[in-house]
Amino acid sequence: MMTRGEAPADGPYAVLFEPVEVGPVTLRNRFYATPQCSGFGADRPHAQAYHRAMKAAGGFAVVHTEWCAIHPEADEWPAVTGRLWDEDDARNLGLMVEMVHAEGALAGVQLGFNGAHSENLETRRPARGITQVPSNTFHFHSCYEMTEAEIVELQGFYVEAALRAREVGFDVINVCANENAGIPLQFLMRAYNRRDDRYGGPFENRARFLLELLERLRGALGDSCALTVRLAVETHHDGDLGMRPEHEARRVIEMADDLVDLWDLEVTGRSMAEWGESAGPSRFHREGYQLAAVEKARSATAKPVVNVGRFVHPEAMVDAVRRGVIDLVGMARPGIADPFLPTKIRENRVDEIRECIGCNICISRYEQKATIVCTQNATIGEEYRRGWNPERFEPAADADRDVLVIGAGPAGMECALVLARRGMRRVHLVDRERELGGHLRWVTQLPGLGEWARVVDYRKIALAKLRNATFVPGTELSAADVLEYGAELVVVANGSSWARDGLNGFDHAPIRGADASLPHVLVPEQVMVEGKPVPDGPVLVYDCEGYYMAASLAERLAREGREVTFVTPFAEVAPYMDYTLEAIGMNRLLRGLGVALVPQHRVAEVAAGAVRGHHVHDEAADVEWPVAATVLCTQRVSDAHLFRTLEADPEGLEQAGIEGLYRIGDCFVPRIAAESVFEGHRLGREIDSPDPSEPLGFPRERLLV
Amino acid sequence: MTVLVAIKAVATVDEEFELADDGLDVAPEFVERELNEWDSYAVEAALRLRESGALDEEIVLVTVGDEDAEEALRAGLAMGADRAVRVWDDSLPGVLGPLAAARLLAAVAAEMSPSLVLCGAQSADAAYGATGVALAAYLKLPHAAVVRELSYSADAIEVTRELEGGLLQRLRLRTPAVLTVQTGINEPRYATLRAIKQAEAKELDLTDPASLGVAIGDLPEAVLDRVYVPAVEGAAEMLEGTPDEVAARIAEVVEREMAA
Ligand SMILES: Cc1cc2nc3c(=O)[nH]c(=O)nc-3n(C[C@H](O)[C@H](O)[C@H](O)COP(=O)(O)O)c2cc1C
Ligand code: SF4
Repeated sequence: MMTRGEAPADGPYAVLFEPVEVGPVTLRNRFYATPQCSGFGADRPHAQAYHRAMKAAGGFAVVHTEWCAIHPEADEWPAVTGRLWDEDDARNLGLMVEMVHAEGALAGVQLGFNGAHSENLETRRPARGITQVPSNTFHFHSCYEMTEAEIVELQGFYVEAALRAREVGFDVINVCANENAGIPLQFLMRAYNRRDDRYGGPFENRARFLLELLERLRGALGDSCALTVRLAVETHHDGDLGMRPEHEARRVIEMADDLVDLWDLEVTGRSMAEWGESAGPSRFHREGYQLAAVEKARSATAKPVVNVGRFVHPEAMVDAVRRGVIDLVGMARPGIADPFLPTKIRENRVDEIRECIGCNICISRYEQKATIVCTQNATIGEEYRRGWNPERFEPAADADRDVLVIGAGPAGMECALVLARRGMRRVHLVDRERELGGHLRWVTQLPGLGEWARVVDYRKIALAKLRNATFVPGTELSAADVLEYGAELVVVANGSSWARDGLNGFDHAPIRGADASLPHVLVPEQVMVEGKPVPDGPVLVYDCEGYYMAASLAERLAREGREVTFVTPFAEVAPYMDYTLEAIGMNRLLRGLGVALVPQHRVAEVAAGAVRGHHVHDEAADVEWPVAATVLCTQRVSDAHLFRTLEADPEGLEQAGIEGLYRIGDCFVPRIAAESVFEGHRLGREIDSPDPSEPLGFPRERLLV
Repeated sequence: MTVLVAIKAVATVDEEFELADDGLDVAPEFVERELNEWDSYAVEAALRLRESGALDEEIVLVTVGDEDAEEALRAGLAMGADRAVRVWDDSLPGVLGPLAAARLLAAVAAEMSPSLVLCGAQSADAAYGATGVALAAYLKLPHAAVVRELSYSADAIEVTRELEGGLLQRLRLRTPAVLTVQTGINEPRYATLRAIKQAEAKELDLTDPASLGVAIGDLPEAVLDRVYVPAVEGAAEMLEGTPDEVAARIAEVVEREMAA
């Protein structure tokens, strides 16, 4: 089957738009959307379908589902995954197939069975494993060891699920053998496979499961679909316990090459929890970070190869293709941040790409069992329920109004951009600083966060092209100035500041002696923006927030040669980074830099020369840290004054002709940037609704009795 | 008395454009018009002189241009100028040379006998850098071009000019005088939405060459033949291969070009 044609572009990126044959199907170009969880899973088929169709509309040649459980024994709930347990699951996925086909792309499905990693909390079934060893990711949970007959039965589950998928029109059937998540991969690895029968022991035996499985799938599917394998070529195990590209990976690729139509090769970590090696955050991994490993395995196959690695620059893609490392450019996050990335490259609109910043907030929502969001793309996940298309904006019904947006951080920039695109007469984005970006101006100066500047760059370029949008720098407006300014609509987005008195969510109170007007007490803005000197000597960084700020400041200070103690009441350092897959790397990094990590401790008093605190569960276990300076990252406090003052003056607003006053972003509630961007976007999309301050409702996919 | 600021609505051309059928300009659908960047510094300079108390006079903007030039005048009004005059006649050529423009501006200035005339040092689109100087010549007034700093008193103006090689030059001029200002002399203000709306509602004075006593046929005008995109000469060579191969190739090319 060949999909709707696409004129091969000329120019430097033309090679990316060449069609590629994958077994019985032809991909219209080299853009390959890899399997990727959305949070919609089996229970939200419409959201699922519209989400995938947007990538198809954006020009991808093939778009995959997320990991789909092939059987009730692979039940990951409450993690949200696709399912192919029965015909009804398949029928629901059929909507996605239909919509992806309608956009001229192929639809792929990933078949998943995780063995010992499936907790089966919904189905309450015992988990089927290779060897009886508890999961290294979901603790307190083990499995039974399959007999040979049960192994053959399991292969049958795959075949039945594949046939169900084919029945509803999937063009590409992908076997998950990556991220420690696919049992075919687990069979290959000594770390999981301690059997001594036909399926264990020497490598030929360990590869038997996958080879037999592929033979049976091929036999059942014939040439009706492409059959592909997503294989981890590197799992970072010691010795021969896992996968190494030049050994186990090459061997299995050679053995199975005749049975597959394409290899989707990737790098991953030692456990499922370590899939940050596969979906690498920009803090630790650059664009194309997997190519070196994949290159070592690549020559073992004659079939097309795909690999991922946060590809956003067409030059990097062209280079990887030209060098023969890959035939197809795999993408999950770059296509989340911008589903229209392929189209923008084809149409030479590269500067309009919303480049993924590698923050992994998209993944954080999967890890939190929620639906997908993205820092760069506020519309992701909103394709169905809010009907948002990232490239399409309706003219506003009240487009004859002038808008004043105060604060050019993530929320304000995004709101101004959406309003300008919706054709508001004039949009003035005013900031007291000389540059756009709000807190991102300095957050991006923290070690490892440079790529986050793309949030600002994208919006800066886009705003500059819109004639009805004006950035007014270096202007701080009082409430009176706002009334004088002459706008009909006013959006306050002036951000938040770090608490200067230690106020925090553990004590629900400030900390004794924590006063950032003193020389030995500092908050992040003082260190990063105001140039307040950090007194010489050991520094204590106190974190009650749990995300990047304290950890990054600790890293920065340690890199400057400071002796740093990191104290936090949380059970571990930077627990939010568990969700973004940065936690393991960040802990390693801070330890490597010699930072003393002190979790589960509260600070009770900050004095000159010493900080006193105690264990969170034992107030008697008090500790004193002799330090010269303390950096407080306890919580952010909304800069709510401007909005409150305006809100309290309805007459003034009316006399000034201000019809609408809104607040968005951190000045409302301090959150992650993705939520600020979303809020700015949402207000822009709904500025002509009956009450723009109140988000419009959306359809929920639920059963009604 | 008046401070007169002569401004121009310059054309900004889209990244991709086509030429008009007559070959004399970029096709209008690819062109936007806005207040010339240098002129916004001139307007700001006038506003600051008044705000500092050095001058207490009406600030009047003048331009020569068709209706599309009005937006630029309104941008200057929104910044704080008091009044704007537009000179036009449909029989004037669409693209006017600097001498012709200066001749018409001088006619307007003559009617007002301003105490100071300010212009931008050049226009962003045509970049002659000549209009202000020619205006001074027509008015027979002292002038200084490319002014970076300026202070004003009732009978003399002190200015600092930029020279090549990083040198600065300090001059004193009798008033009235004509100055053309360089970007960086100040930081032009942004108009509030209210000021923009008020400027929108203002009447602009419209006059034409005949009323100013200037015959269009007498205007000094070079004849525009055509506007074109030069043919690309020489070709870029994309170097491919390993870093060593590329380095070797670069060395080859450099040697060849040095020898030539
Ligand atoms: C939110 C999210 C969910 C993902 N879910 C899956 C999945 O279900 N199956 C899978 O094989 N890979 C999954 N991945 C991994 C991606 O397919 C991809 O390998 C990885 O993100 C690296 O590619 P990228 O740099 O283009 O994002 C997921 C990635 C993201 C960002
Ligand atoms: S959330 Fe961050 S990592 Fe994920 S796609 Fe968006 S920008 Fe990229």
